[in-house]
Amino acid sequence: MELRISPSMSLMEKLNILGDAAKYDVSCSSSGSSRAGDGKGIGNTVKAGLCHSFAADGRCISLLKILFTNECIFDCKYCMNRKSNDVPRASFTPDEVCELTIEFYRRNYIEGLFLSSGILYSPDYTMELICQTLYKLRTVHRFQGYIHVKAIPGAAPELVSKAGFLADRMSVNLELATADGLQQLAPNKHRKTILKPMKLIQNGIAQNKDELVLYRNAPRFCEAGQSTQMIVGAIPESDYQIMSVAESLYQKFSLKRVYYSAFVNVNEDKELPALPGGPPLLREHRLYQADFLLRFYDFTVGELLTQERPYFNMLIDPKADWAVRHLELFPVEVNRADYQLLLRIPGVGVKSAKRIVAARRFGPLTFEDLKKIGVVLKRALYFITCRGRMMYPTKLEEDYIVRNLTYQKEKYPFSPDGMRYEQMSLFS
Amino acid sequence: MTEKYLICEDSLEGVFTGIYDAYALREGHVHNHIQIGEEENLRLFASYLYIRPDCVKTKKVAETIQKRLGTEVYYSICRALATQDAGKGQAVYQTVVDGITNGYGRRVLEHLTNPFVELLFRLSRNAANEIHHLLEFVRFEELRQGILYSKIGPKCNVVSFLMPHFADRLPLENFVIYDEKRDLYGVHPAGGEWYLVSGLEEPVGESAPRSEKEEAYRELFTMFCQTIAIRERKNLKLQQQMLPLRFQEYMVEFVKK
Ligand code: SF4
Repeated sequence: MELRISPSMSLMEKLNILGDAAKYDVSCSSSGSSRAGDGKGIGNTVKAGLCHSFAADGRCISLLKILFTNECIFDCKYCMNRKSNDVPRASFTPDEVCELTIEFYRRNYIEGLFLSSGILYSPDYTMELICQTLYKLRTVHRFQGYIHVKAIPGAAPELVSKAGFLADRMSVNLELATADGLQQLAPNKHRKTILKPMKLIQNGIAQNKDELVLYRNAPRFCEAGQSTQMIVGAIPESDYQIMSVAESLYQKFSLKRVYYSAFVNVNEDKELPALPGGPPLLREHRLYQADFLLRFYDFTVGELLTQERPYFNMLIDPKADWAVRHLELFPVEVNRADYQLLLRIPGVGVKSAKRIVAARRFGPLTFEDLKKIGVVLKRALYFITCRGRMMYPTKLEEDYIVRNLTYQKEKYPFSPDGMRYEQMSLFS
Repeated sequence: MTEKYLICEDSLEGVFTGIYDAYALREGHVHNHIQIGEEENLRLFASYLYIRPDCVKTKKVAETIQKRLGTEVYYSICRALATQDAGKGQAVYQTVVDGITNGYGRRVLEHLTNPFVELLFRLSRNAANEIHHLLEFVRFEELRQGILYSKIGPKCNVVSFLMPHFADRLPLENFVIYDEKRDLYGVHPAGGEWYLVSGLEEPVGESAPRSEKEEAYRELFTMFCQTIAIRERKNLKLQQQMLPLRFQEYMVEFVKK
C-alpha cells in the first residue's frame, strides 16, 4: 500500500485529521490507576481520573485522544476512515505523539494519552508502531501519566501484551452486540479476532495481580483494566441483546467499563439508518443508566429487561421502571431497610444510601434529613416512609406514579432538540 | 449567662487559636461563638474577646483534632476553613465540640442532624469541589525562562491544596500558581519543595514574555478541543454546566486571544 501522506504536513494539520478521526471512540476516562510520581520524570495518575476540559458536545476531554494513523486496510461500514472513503489521510511519527503528549501534559491540558489507530499495512505493523511510541514516551520522556491504548484486532499476542505493560488501560471495541451484526457492518473483522485480544488482556491482568503479590515491584500490566465499546442503533439489536452482552463482558472478561455509542451515520451509507432526528441519544442514555445499575446497584439484566420486553422504557429511567413494576416491595422504611434495599429506591443513589446507613445510627431520620443527605425526594417520595409516614398521602399505583414521575423534567445529558422520539421507535 | 464572641482572624491559625481559648474558658460551649472578623452591629449584653493567632495553641488544637477525630475530619475542617462562609468558624468549633466533648469522635461528620456539623460538611464539600475542579482546569503557560505559570481566581482559598498535586506531577518543573483574588503565589522550584508567597510588589507572571512555542501549543490544543466535539451531539448548555464560565475565563482553549 502506498502511503498517501505528504511529509510536509504540519503538526496542526495532522492533529486536526487524527483528532477528528478519533472522536467516535467515546471513552475518555482517565480513572482506575493510582500512581504517585517517582520524582524523576513527569506525571502521576489519580484513581478517580480527572477531566481537563469539556467539548461543545458536553463530553469531557481528559486524554489527548488521537489515532496514530487514519490509513486503514479495512472497510467497516460505520467508519469514516474505511478504505473505500476518500478522506485526507495522515500519520504521526512516534516523536510527534510524544511531543504533543508531554507539552499538553505540562500545561495541564490533559491527563494523558489515548492512542488508537487505523490499520496501516497490517495489524502487526500498526501495533508495533504503537508500542514504539508508548515505549519512547515511558522511557525517554519518563512519562508517568495515564495511557489508554487500543489493541488492534489481529495483532500478534506478544505485541498486545507489550503494549499492556506500557499502558494503564487497554481496549478492544466489540463494535456490535451480535456476531451477525459485526459481519454485516465490519466484513474484515471477526468476533474471534476481537475476543482473542480481550481474553489475552484479561489473562495478562490476572497474572500480573499474582506477580504483584509476590514481587511488589513487578512491572504493572494495565493497572486500570480493560474497556470496550458497542455502537447503538446502527442495526436492529435490542437493548436486551446489548445489555446481556455487556453483563457477560463484565462477568466473563472482567471488563472495567463498557461504553455505548449512539450511532452517527458519518458515511451516509445507504445500508445504515439515516437518523434524520440525530443519533439515538436517549436510548444511549438509558443503556448507561442500566449499566450503572449493573455495576453499582447489584441489578441483573434479567431484572430490567426480558426477551418479551427487550427495550427500555423511554419515559422513565430503568430503576424507576423496575420500582413501579415491583410496588409490592414498597414503601420502604428508610430508617430500617438494609443497604441493598435502599439502593433500589428511585431517588436514592449510592452515596445517599451510604450516608443514610451512617446517619441513622445517631437517631431516626426525617424527610428534612434525607433532603440534606442528598436524596431526591420528589422521586423517592412515592416509595418511602420515614418513621412510618409517607411524605404526602400518595397512591401506590403504577400508572399514577409513572405519570407523576414523567411530569418531572428528567435531566438528560444531551439537549432535547438533539433527540427525536421517532428515532426510538425505529426498532421497537 | 452572657454570650461570648471570640473574634478571630480569617485563617486556620485564627480559628484554631479561638477554639483553644474557648476551651480554656471552661464555661461549656453553648454560649461561645467563634466569629471571623469584626461584626458591624455589636450585640447588647454580649462580651467580645479578641483572639490573636498563636502558633503553639494552633499546633495543639491541630494535633488534638487529628488524634481524636482522625485525619479525614481534620482535612474536612481545613477545607471548610478555606471557604468564605461567615459561619465557618463556629461550624468548625461546634463540630470539634461534638466530636471531642460529646464523644462522636471519628464519626462526627456522620452526625448530620447537628446543624453545625451539617454546615461544616457542606462547606468542606464546596471547597473540595472547587479544589477538584481546579486540579482539572488549571492551565499553565510557559514563560520564556521555561517557568510554567498559571493564574486562577477561585472562590475558596485553595492554592495550598493544589500545590501538592502539581508538585508530585511536575517534580522537575519550575512552576507558579497565582491566586489573583488573594494575591497569593504557590511556588515550586524544580526538584525542590513548594512554598507560598504573598505581598509581592508587582505581579510576576502576567506581563512576562511567553516562550517561543507557547502560542503554537495553545493553538494546537484549542483546535483539538474544537475538533473532538461531535457536531450531531452539540450541547453548549451541558458544556457550561460541566465547566462553569467562571473557570472558562482562565482557560486557554476558551480565551480569545
Ligand atoms: S478497522 Fe474499521 S473501524 Fe478501525 S479504522 Fe479501519 S475501517 Fe475504521
